[in-house]
Amino acid sequence: MNAFGLAPLILILPAIGILFSGMAGRRIIAADRHAGERIVGWFASLMALGALVVSVLLLFSLQSSHYHAEIVPLFTWIDIPAANFTIPWAIQVDTLSVAMMLVVTGVGSLIHIYAIGYMHGDPNFSRFFAYFNLFIFFMLILVSGSSYLMLFVGWEGVGLCSFLLISFWFDRVDKDGVAMNANAGRKAFVANRVGDFAMLVAMVLTFWTFGSLEYDVVFGSALEMFASGQVVEFGLFSASLGGVLTAVTALFLMGAAGKSAQIPLYVWLPDAMAGPTPVSALIHAATMVTSGIYLIVRSNVFFEIARASGAQIFGLISSPDLVAYTGALTALLAGLIAFTQFDVKKVLAYSTVSQLGFMVAAAGMGAYVAAMFHLITHALFKALLFLSSGSVIHGMEHGHHHLHDHGHDAHGDSHAHDAHAAEAPFDPQDMRTMGGLRDKMRITFWVYMIGTLALAGIFPLAGFWSKDEILAHASKNAGFLPIYVMLSLAAICTAFYMGRQIKMIFFGRPRHPAAEHATESAPLMTVPLMILAGLATLGGLLNLPFFSQGAYKAARAAESFGANLALEHWLEHSIPAFELTREGALQMPITPTWLQFDVALISTALALAALAAAVYGVYRRKPETAVEPDPLQRTPIWWFAILPLDTLYMRGLIPLFNRFAAWLADVIDWAFWHDFVHDNLIRDIFVGFANFASDLLDGRGVDGLVNGAGSFTRRLAGAIRLSQTGYVRNYALSIFLGTVALLAYFLLFALR
Amino acid sequence: MPSTVTIDWYVTLSVILFTIGALGVLLRRNAIIIFMSVELMLNSANLLFVAFARHLADLDGQVLVFFVITVAAAEVAVGLALIVAIFRTKRSINIDEINLMKG
Repeated sequence: MNAFGLAPLILILPAIGILFSGMAGRRIIAADRHAGERIVGWFASLMALGALVVSVLLLFSLQSSHYHAEIVPLFTWIDIPAANFTIPWAIQVDTLSVAMMLVVTGVGSLIHIYAIGYMHGDPNFSRFFAYFNLFIFFMLILVSGSSYLMLFVGWEGVGLCSFLLISFWFDRVDKDGVAMNANAGRKAFVANRVGDFAMLVAMVLTFWTFGSLEYDVVFGSALEMFASGQVVEFGLFSASLGGVLTAVTALFLMGAAGKSAQIPLYVWLPDAMAGPTPVSALIHAATMVTSGIYLIVRSNVFFEIARASGAQIFGLISSPDLVAYTGALTALLAGLIAFTQFDVKKVLAYSTVSQLGFMVAAAGMGAYVAAMFHLITHALFKALLFLSSGSVIHGMEHGHHHLHDHGHDAHGDSHAHDAHAAEAPFDPQDMRTMGGLRDKMRITFWVYMIGTLALAGIFPLAGFWSKDEILAHASKNAGFLPIYVMLSLAAICTAFYMGRQIKMIFFGRPRHPAAEHATESAPLMTVPLMILAGLATLGGLLNLPFFSQGAYKAARAAESFGANLALEHWLEHSIPAFELTREGALQMPITPTWLQFDVALISTALALAALAAAVYGVYRRKPETAVEPDPLQRTPIWWFAILPLDTLYMRGLIPLFNRFAAWLADVIDWAFWHDFVHDNLIRDIFVGFANFASDLLDGRGVDGLVNGAGSFTRRLAGAIRLSQTGYVRNYALSIFLGTVALLAYFLLFALR
Repeated sequence: MPSTVTIDWYVTLSVILFTIGALGVLLRRNAIIIFMSVELMLNSANLLFVAFARHLADLDGQVLVFFVITVAAAEVAVGLALIVAIFRTKRSINIDEINLMKG
């Protein structure tokens, strides 16, 4: 079976969805609110589901074609024959891109369906689904492209969708009149620009080096050049391939830091929670933010060459190590910041930053499969957690509305003395106002528990397998010991803040009247939750470990189902299992690092202890009321609440930048360029020359010549006029003298 | 008796007449006198023509004299008419008073 021809459908279907929701959606909903929302929402969901079906077909096609990467050309995008420069627009179907497609369309479809329920009643329902399909469209371009340029198109496209969806409620203002949603969108956009700039530079450098941006060509020639020890010529200067690729990969890290919210650019992701919850789940947890990891995994050849070449950035650290340390540090720092958050979604946002740090660290250590494994399981359980938190928020809002309706009924006409009318603005996302929701929202509670345990890495849920595979990689190599320690600490943090969250939301007594009246969400929302909960439970099956190399080989030889579907085996066709030596591309298979018993045991014990410490220790009784401070608020951990680079950027970098911009504008632009260059150099010299031309050349020269001819004639005529006396005698005399003169001439000279 | 009057005599007389005429034209104020001086100059030229015609035995000079007499007659007729006309307007034939063409 071969369905590669269907590959363009993964882009065409969402495109149809965009057009439908964008052009017809508003009219359909205006005609009939209830049925219209269903039509628009389900149409968009079906387009995502269709893309999922195509992705599954592509998966089977790959299996039947022995995992051979297939490049499906669509059209030629840029073609400059004179420069021998062609950029085709093609879809690369290989095991890595199909894995990503499945995540994007699978989780995406479920979140689409969930959003039908969540966005119910929103006046911009159809706009939401148009943006949602647009996101799927660009995300699939990003993961399916066959070149860095296509990846970049998708990269920018999802950035746009992220901006559009974070500021989806752009007209909302807080009590100070600040449009915080619009600001959050802008912040995300600007932070991403920083990373995108690095991406562009990296791409230009790649093109300069290899003359192409196609993955096949670029990676193939990179390996060849490395094996032959070739030096890269840049015209005026030359550099070793390792050095160039170190620069490229460091810039890729910068791009990934923007998109995947790593230090130092993670600051936008917590703010991005201003968007609707399905957006947080799909874009800012499951898919878009993982594109940085996809980029690193996709560029594994570059990273491995950079590692093998021994080139170091400023002689300090090799670029893959920098990636690993960035990821580990982000994981730990974001895990600590998550302690200090009260907004249910912001806890999850910092958790996402932290988990992305795990993946980046794994990719930096060369554990690409582990990174992808964690990417997939994280997409499942983090989408689940976000959607569940959306269900909680929905329930709280419901309770709040119920409360108000009830209050009005009880007090009849006099709502001036309504006890709730004068209360502070109610924030349905503040965990301090929740509590005791376990009985009110039973389904949400259970799926939230599954998500929490999966995230905390408790056996046998999905997170356990993927996180411990990363930890096993870190522990295997003594050089990665600091990373192992940081990641383990981050894992403890993860369990702790999730325990804190669970305890504050679901256990104890309700701390706000709204929590007392919270109700379970509609099936349209809970059914996708249950599906995701199932996936989060079973996700670990994707890459079930074989505890010995022999067992793995035997299973593969026997073509057993598990071994063939194992992610390790699946991805090895896109991520070649090789180790490069410094002398050249000496390829040798590396042993897949499965989970290790001792490491797994330690991390699980630590996670359970942290969970218990949160639930039964620190937060056992507290907080009792919504205004009571957090028990941790006196500890040094709270210091991280003010640590965020955010403050640094807002207070330090941005004013500095503004001052620099003002300096550019005032001094360079006005004082130097306008006042000095324009006025003094250009204007004065020009005016001087123009004056010279008009006064001297034209006035004195040309005019003088013309006027002079006139006045000379007049003066001459005036002089000659005097000889015209009017006396006949004088004329007669002149005739006489003339005659005498003529005669004298003839007689004396001419006739001689 | 053989003629003792040679061509030199005629030439000398003609020069004297011409000089008197030219000086008359240049120095006198009366228009009539100037006219008469002009006639004198013409006739001195006529004398020279006739004298050389006889001296060289060639009739061309004689013929030319007739032309000169004719032209002079016409000139006097026109000139006198002009003088009469001027006199009628100016009541004078003093040519120093006739300077309307002064530049």
